[in-house]
Amino acid sequence: MSGKKKMKNADLAPSRRQRKGVGQYILGFFLLLYTLFCALPILLVFIAAFTDEKAITQNGFSYFPEKWSLDGINSVLRYGKQLIVSYGVTIFITVVGTLVGLLIMSMFAYAISRPDFRLSKFFSIYLLIPMLFSGGQLSCYIIFTTYYNLKDSLLLLILPLCVTTMNVIILRTYIANSIPAELMEAAKIDGAGEYRTFFQITLPLLKPSMAAVGFMMATTYWNDWQNALLYIKSDSKKPLQLLLVNIQKSIEFLLNNANVPASARAAMGGTIPQYSATMATVIVVIGPIMVVYPFFQKYFIKGLTVGSVKG
Amino acid sequence: MKEFFRNTWKHRAHVVMALPAFLVLLFFAYIPMSGLVMAFKSFDYSKGIWGSPWNGIQNFKFLLASKDIFVNMTLNTLMYYVIFTAVGTFLNVVLAIAIDQFVFKRCAKVMQTIMIIPIFISYAAVQFIVYAFISTDTGILNNTFGMNTKFYITASLWPIILTIVKMWNSVGYGSVLYMSVLAGVDTELYEAAEIDGANKWKQIWHITLPALIPMITVMLLLSVGNIMRSDTGLFYQVTRDSGTLYDTTQVIDSYVLHAIFKNSNYGFVSATTLFQSVVGLLMMLFANGLVRKISPENSLF
Repeated sequence: MSGKKKMKNADLAPSRRQRKGVGQYILGFFLLLYTLFCALPILLVFIAAFTDEKAITQNGFSYFPEKWSLDGINSVLRYGKQLIVSYGVTIFITVVGTLVGLLIMSMFAYAISRPDFRLSKFFSIYLLIPMLFSGGQLSCYIIFTTYYNLKDSLLLLILPLCVTTMNVIILRTYIANSIPAELMEAAKIDGAGEYRTFFQITLPLLKPSMAAVGFMMATTYWNDWQNALLYIKSDSKKPLQLLLVNIQKSIEFLLNNANVPASARAAMGGTIPQYSATMATVIVVIGPIMVVYPFFQKYFIKGLTVGSVKG
Repeated sequence: MKEFFRNTWKHRAHVVMALPAFLVLLFFAYIPMSGLVMAFKSFDYSKGIWGSPWNGIQNFKFLLASKDIFVNMTLNTLMYYVIFTAVGTFLNVVLAIAIDQFVFKRCAKVMQTIMIIPIFISYAAVQFIVYAFISTDTGILNNTFGMNTKFYITASLWPIILTIVKMWNSVGYGSVLYMSVLAGVDTELYEAAEIDGANKWKQIWHITLPALIPMITVMLLLSVGNIMRSDTGLFYQVTRDSGTLYDTTQVIDSYVLHAIFKNSNYGFVSATTLFQSVVGLLMMLFANGLVRKISPENSLF
């Protein structure tokens, strides 16, 4: 099964079934319903973030709020120094983790896909075992914090997630199926060393597969709250998701911090716009992925498809 | 042997390339496995994993004795696995077929984009959305239907709530795989069926579904390997780790996470983890063996 052919078919919308009968409209109606089911909860976040706090506390959340307000957004944006720090942390771990992960996983995938490399069998098995068996959260927690002494370290947000068996398999499958071995042979005959062959021939050709894997990795990093909750203590290293997890505390922290002028607090009626500010924070956290995702959808879907077929 | 070393030396560049990922796996996957010996020790923080005294199978005895916690969370883990897999697979397939049958392709593409988005929203964020719908005083459900249901303390409702949240989160994403299979079905089959007078339902029943069966089988079998693992975020975040809901919401993964924060009996917890890992391993081997028999090209190893 070649993935390429399939994608082409999907794009070209085969000429079959061109009749647009009543059935099609009924089908469309149900699909639309499901789309709304997916979209409406997200829409509520946006509406609630712009709803007046009193309207929420008195009448509850609503798609048609009685009164709109920018208080939630304002309070988060204006006084959210922690938010900027957390944004920085999240972007840092996402970018560094994805790039480092992609590089070392591609190298690994390339190495184990070399023909007549005796050790590649060992490396393949070595790669597979972590997928079958794991030490579990508790031993990870104790070993990382006591034996590696890595408490409160960004390394723990980056390294544990940066090599995953499935991603290496996707990359290896792509190398085996879509990059002709003759290219590598030719480079070698022309006198390129092993490293040069990899970085100048293989790596550029690996881009489509890396885009798919990279996007999935970036999403994992962006959305990871568990490691942050377990390992990160200091405010300067808190990623966005941890901010969300501790939101009750965070909102207070954001707003009762020294850098909120008393006049501003008085202007807000002394109350923290808790619900709307929370939703505003949620927007800030989920926004970027939602903006970036449509551009990556093509690669992402391809990656999913390729991953399902073993090399 | 000499031959082997010569080969390795010849490929030394490849060894170097494999090394970074090798080390990451060593330190963050392999060494933590050794921590499972804690299951046979009475753990003492000050003495560390290795220094703590052995206590044989004491922890496991304790595990079996404390039926309410251990049995309850194991049953919950299994129950949610069954519900999510059954409902999820069904909806994935239905959605994939529906989108595939829909002739307005551009429209379908936009809808599909929207349907996939929820998978990218972390449960840490999802819990606030869920809260907006079901909180007692401010929740949309209670307000719209004039109810006064206290969702966050009514354990019996949570299997339904969690299933809905999980499906919202993952069905759009899960159907992509099945759609790519459908896109590969030979269109001539449909044309031939139409000439033979088969209507839409018959075509779906006799062409579309059979085309999907291999993929469904493989996905089901491969998921068996994760039978003891759950979407921690769903059970820990969305339920707000609320104790009154544990009856129906506590799964092994969320229990372990909770236990780490409470610094509770680590021996008990690690016995649970070992149980989880071993059952997972056995299921994975079993499932892969089956897949290898049915469709070798889809087996993992």
